[in-house]
Amino acid sequence: MFRANCPNCGAPIAFRSADLPVKVCDYCHSAVLRTGGNLAAMGKVADVPDDVSPLQLGVRGRVGARSFELIGRVRWRYADGAWNEWLAWFDDGSTGWLGESMGRYMLLRQVDPAHVVSDVVSLLKSGYAVMPGTKAMIDNVEYWASDVKTVSCVASEGELPFNSLGLSAQSIDLMSADEHCASIQKAAGEDVEIYAGRYVTLADIAATGLREFEGWPMPAYEA
Amino acid sequence: MSDDTLAPDNPAPTPEALTAPPAPPPSTVKPVNCPNCGGTVEIRVAGTTVSVICSHCGSTLDATSPDLQVIAKADEALKTPEIPLGTRGVIKGRTWEVVGYQERTDEEVTWAEYLLFNPYEGYAFLVDDGRRFNLGLLLDKLPTSNWGLGLSADGQNFSRFGDPYPVHTVFVVGEFYWRAAVGETVQETDYVTPGTMLACEDYQGERTWTRLDMLEWGEAETAFRIAKRRKEYSSPAPHERSPYKSQLFEAWVIGVIAAVTLFLVSGMAGSQQRIASTTTDAVLDGPEKTLVIKDVVLPPGRSRVEIDADATSLDNSWVDLDYSLTDQKTQDSIDSYGTAEFYSGTDSDGSWTEGDRKPTVDLSSIPGGRYDLVVTLSAHKWNGAGSSSSAPVTDTSLMGGHGFADGGWGSSSGGGVTVPVTVTVDRGGVFGGNIILGLLVILIWPIIVLFRHLGFEKRRKAVLSSGSDDDDSGSDD
Repeated sequence: MFRANCPNCGAPIAFRSADLPVKVCDYCHSAVLRTGGNLAAMGKVADVPDDVSPLQLGVRGRVGARSFELIGRVRWRYADGAWNEWLAWFDDGSTGWLGESMGRYMLLRQVDPAHVVSDVVSLLKSGYAVMPGTKAMIDNVEYWASDVKTVSCVASEGELPFNSLGLSAQSIDLMSADEHCASIQKAAGEDVEIYAGRYVTLADIAATGLREFEGWPMPAYEA
Repeated sequence: MSDDTLAPDNPAPTPEALTAPPAPPPSTVKPVNCPNCGGTVEIRVAGTTVSVICSHCGSTLDATSPDLQVIAKADEALKTPEIPLGTRGVIKGRTWEVVGYQERTDEEVTWAEYLLFNPYEGYAFLVDDGRRFNLGLLLDKLPTSNWGLGLSADGQNFSRFGDPYPVHTVFVVGEFYWRAAVGETVQETDYVTPGTMLACEDYQGERTWTRLDMLEWGEAETAFRIAKRRKEYSSPAPHERSPYKSQLFEAWVIGVIAAVTLFLVSGMAGSQQRIASTTTDAVLDGPEKTLVIKDVVLPPGRSRVEIDADATSLDNSWVDLDYSLTDQKTQDSIDSYGTAEFYSGTDSDGSWTEGDRKPTVDLSSIPGGRYDLVVTLSAHKWNGAGSSSSAPVTDTSLMGGHGFADGGWGSSSGGGVTVPVTVTVDRGGVFGGNIILGLLVILIWPIIVLFRHLGFEKRRKAVLSSGSDDDDSGSDD
């Protein structure tokens, strides 16, 4: 854990890993970039909206033998809506993303592009449009592109592996015939990033520390 | 656990807990004002909702813009959904809140779809076709194809029901996680299995699969506190389970049990009751003899009467027996006849025997009363034994027993030889015809249920046949 003070407001901030160089200050909402021991305030990040999400920073969950904690969040917007991606910090120091869209959850991990066979990657690289229905093989699982859209980051909080300020990207959702799903993104000037995983329910990940809402029974999931 | 981690018996409350009680959990509902009409609009799924249609003025508001921009202005009086927005109900153990309502049509019928929300479960649909409710959930796995025979999803097989058809949205109110709007048209394809439909919707390159499970009668009405629908099956949904199918099973199980019982009971009741037995001597080729058995008493109701003749000593001869059972009171009589016969001989194939020395006559459904049984016997000798190469016709009763030109029959010479004939009258016993009648009665219900089931299935698939032929005479609206 690297502890310091926000270069903008002086509040204490902490970085738990060199892999997560960005921290949004809890007090002044500045995005603080850490390079080695140096900190730089990158500018103010929009507040995450007070949405009706049961997730919040600190929620814990479990996948198989691994447990994780949600430590960061990026909110993405596209023409017809918005969704959250929560950064999951696993107990082995690895990270994943818990996507939250339209009341459904996808737990995704980044995949080495060498494990992907698809036109999607080359199309994205060369700037061509990807059509829904395009096939992709990721880690030997067959996927079809189900949704293609341009997205931009509108808000973030907590610890993050990248600076989300002003980020926009091409985003492609993929589905498979089993419970697998995937997401392929390309931000302007960046590499194609591939994330694959599966749809989960809050019960599947035995989520704890969920937000309470007035009048709604809080589910108790068995760990 | 070490001692120093033990908490004291009565921990003193912390000052914070005394001064600042924990804030109550936030509500999921946020009231805002419609920028068009100023009325209060309750946003129930902030952050996910994309479109809000004001329930006061019908304007469409953009929930993704911070100030609820008006996308489409309207000033119409709106209809109110049967289940009001904001109603919460429990279906299959989960609480759902109605957040949106739309009406859609396939140009023939219009149905209602409620968008339901639970902050921990996400969204569901409650689809109301006017008769019954379905609970819809989005599939998060694509169905797999079954070699062109249909689809497989969640371990169930679905067959395609009809062709893809357009579905138009004709009314919307409340909030949605997509840009819901009147006039939106999707292409829908249905796949069915009893009780469940898979609806595939194609809209602008995006394909969604919804699994619709038909709820029990009254389930949704009870959950959301609206009037219960009346059970009726005149126009079933494509995936509706035939209500007669379980009845059909029950009816056949009961029918089979009844049939087995019928056999067992009739077997027991089949123990016959002897009424009378008399023996007389018939003289071969002698005069007719008449035997009267008086006072055959039958109980009220209908009985079966069995008349057995026994002429054990018959040899190459026969006895014609005419029976007349006469009601002593009304003098109505029931007539029948039998033949006791026995023949033997030797031909090129060796020795042979033919005939039945103990013929039985059954009289069924005889009304109760006191009867006399008049038996007329006439015995004859047959002389053809050994001289005929063909077996004699045994059922002489069918032929009348007379008129054979062939020399062997009845050319007499056995004067004075007598044959003892015993006539026995029994009541009761099993008569096959009654059992068959009983079986038919037992099968009436299963057969009615079967036809109802077939009728239901025909109506369920009626849409398909009316779509495939161009004949528009079908007028069942």
